[in-house]
Amino acid sequence: MRTGTFLGFVAPSVLSMLLLIAVPLVGVVYLALYQSHVKTEMVEVRTKVPLFGGLSRDQVSYVPQAVLDEDGRPIRVWDYVGMQNLAKASEIDELGRILTKPRDEASLPDMIDSMYRDITNLDFWSAFEFTMIYVVATTPLMLAVGFLLALAVNRATEQLKGSLIFVSLLPMIVTPVVSSLAVYWLFLDNAIVATVLRELGLGRIYFLKDAVTIRILIIAYGVWYAAPFAFIILYAGLQTVPKESLEAARVDGATRWQAIRLVTIPHLMPLFAVVVLIHLMDAYRVFEPILVFNSRVFASSLQYLVYIAMSFEDNIHRAAAYAVLTVIGIVILLTPVLISTWREQRSTP
Amino acid sequence: MKPLRTWLASAAFAATASFFSPSLANAACAIEGSGEVNVITNFFPTLELLAAKMKECAKPGLKVEVKLTTEMKTEIPRAFEAASSPFDGAAVANSSIVQLQSKGQLMPLNDLVAKYKDTYKIEDQMLIRFGDDIMAVAFMANAQILYYRKDILEKHGIAVPTTYDELLAACEKLKGDPEVDHCFSAAYGNSWELGNEFIDIFVAMGGQLADPQTSQATFNGPEGVATLELMAKLAGYMSPNALAIDFGGVKQEMQQGRTAMAFLWGDIAASMDNPEESKVVDKVGLAVAPKAKADGAISTLFWWDGYVIPKNLDGDPDLTFQVMMEAIKAETVTENNDITLWLRSNYKPTKYADAIVKSVEAGAPPFPMTPQVDLAILALGENIGDAIAGKESAQQSLDDAAKAYTRAATDAGYLK
Repeated sequence: MRTGTFLGFVAPSVLSMLLLIAVPLVGVVYLALYQSHVKTEMVEVRTKVPLFGGLSRDQVSYVPQAVLDEDGRPIRVWDYVGMQNLAKASEIDELGRILTKPRDEASLPDMIDSMYRDITNLDFWSAFEFTMIYVVATTPLMLAVGFLLALAVNRATEQLKGSLIFVSLLPMIVTPVVSSLAVYWLFLDNAIVATVLRELGLGRIYFLKDAVTIRILIIAYGVWYAAPFAFIILYAGLQTVPKESLEAARVDGATRWQAIRLVTIPHLMPLFAVVVLIHLMDAYRVFEPILVFNSRVFASSLQYLVYIAMSFEDNIHRAAAYAVLTVIGIVILLTPVLISTWREQRSTP
Repeated sequence: MKPLRTWLASAAFAATASFFSPSLANAACAIEGSGEVNVITNFFPTLELLAAKMKECAKPGLKVEVKLTTEMKTEIPRAFEAASSPFDGAAVANSSIVQLQSKGQLMPLNDLVAKYKDTYKIEDQMLIRFGDDIMAVAFMANAQILYYRKDILEKHGIAVPTTYDELLAACEKLKGDPEVDHCFSAAYGNSWELGNEFIDIFVAMGGQLADPQTSQATFNGPEGVATLELMAKLAGYMSPNALAIDFGGVKQEMQQGRTAMAFLWGDIAASMDNPEESKVVDKVGLAVAPKAKADGAISTLFWWDGYVIPKNLDGDPDLTFQVMMEAIKAETVTENNDITLWLRSNYKPTKYADAIVKSVEAGAPPFPMTPQVDLAILALGENIGDAIAGKESAQQSLDDAAKAYTRAATDAGYLK
């Protein structure tokens, strides 16, 4: 292909990537390097608040009030703070203090345990802890579930395949907030699951009461949500597995499992890599179940921190800092997968 | 075919009716002027009614849009700090007005109030003043109160608790009653609500959230520890899932008859007697919030909801003001007396409002209107769950919250 033609073809996608990915990313990094606030001064203010029934109550208190410019507009102060936002968001100083703090626990496991508890008491590191647990736990599970689904649907009769594929894809179609809510409502007190388990004589089970059950629930939700993606990619891949090799394997006396392990899986390896790659990026940004399950005491996530900083602290710079940390985390997470894919690409002629 | 035809006919009729209804409604809303008015409000039944009232003012040449959203806490500050706000007015409450007011984003309404005082019978008790500036026109009030099951307390011969100690003792007695799943319910699930529950008790304990002069956090002192330890005890009588159940869930537990007592907003009291959603019709009694200390104040704070106009609106403040006042005029209160606690003097208190009236008489202070408190709520809500869950001590949780507050207040420029 001539260079001109090539550029002509890739230009639209390069342009849209610049516009939709690179520019916002630069914007987020820029925001993370600054800190801004409305300039205020403490002023004694008498507020009058109506009470019910015609009464009202005066309150006198010191309240920060905006300093206005000559047009009566509040003045916004922008300060360049460099890495300060990132350092504060990642709580790196506190982490250092915890790691170097002298500990008087008797045994090494006790010492590590107390150190771990101190670390996961920090907002960022506790969010990071569950984010990583979620990533590590959901990846193999969703691969396994997706692959088994793909194998099962592949063996179904032609008439059934269409509806099976549709049903399997449903979790991916439903908006995550909505499906999280649905799951949350299933497991609340006196909701269907708890009631059924009680009727079966298993007693009252409270799924949202401690770290273990709530985390299992979120991970199960994550697998349910992500498996259809693995399923559809792997199902497509199954259609390309050469029938001759499979038949040859069977003729040579391979069991069905051996055929899958020795023929199908190696054939699908590049697809597994793609699915893992995309799921890692996705899982690292887990957010909806954390918010919807009100699970922050037992399971937080990095995206939840972005949301809190943005919508409650009203601090776009801190939110940007968390976002930058998320991007850095994803890049680190993907590096090994990218390297191995690149090696594979190079080794195949 | 007949049903289909009937259906088509009624659909056509409905369409015609809705086509003509704006002109009919205009008889009720007489606003001169043309343009566009956009208002953003929170999402609950009273505000839905007021939104509908505002929309009735629409006519050829005057467009009225109301955005009802529970995300107003995020959207309003974004809009009001932009160069020009897409919203010309907003509904806010005690805590949400302070972030806007302290940043100088609100337009003083003194002139508009003076101009329209007679037209809309704006009463003095509806005006929210910061110094000399009228910053909002309030229309309803609210406070959290104690909901209790009359039948269950009677069965055990328990008097309605007036202090939290009595409430804990009552719960101890109710243990083992098969009718009661959990003795007590409160909204500990949502961060903001959890922080708010803390502040209700903390203020009654005599605590002060932040130093008024320096903005330093002061909620991690002895009153804070006592408050949080009390909350942990209360949680012991709540559903084990309590840290994941928000206000809507608590309301439902009460309506489904799963809980004997609950701490809920007063304005939803009537919903306990609505047979369509409640299994405990006529069984729920309402009382003022328990006291935190036997000799102290009741543990609740007083709230109002009202309308504001930003400085940076892209529409006409005069027109916006008229539309909002039109919605909360005296007739609206007369026609919808029972749905909430109106601040207007023509409101006739119902039995559902009684506990809130008593709260005021007992001296419930208004929710503190400073931006530091708004930051403190969230710092608390995000951190004290750890102590309630027993993961760490009350003091440690409060110190974590103080640290989070200090960080947020420093970034906001309140702390140097």
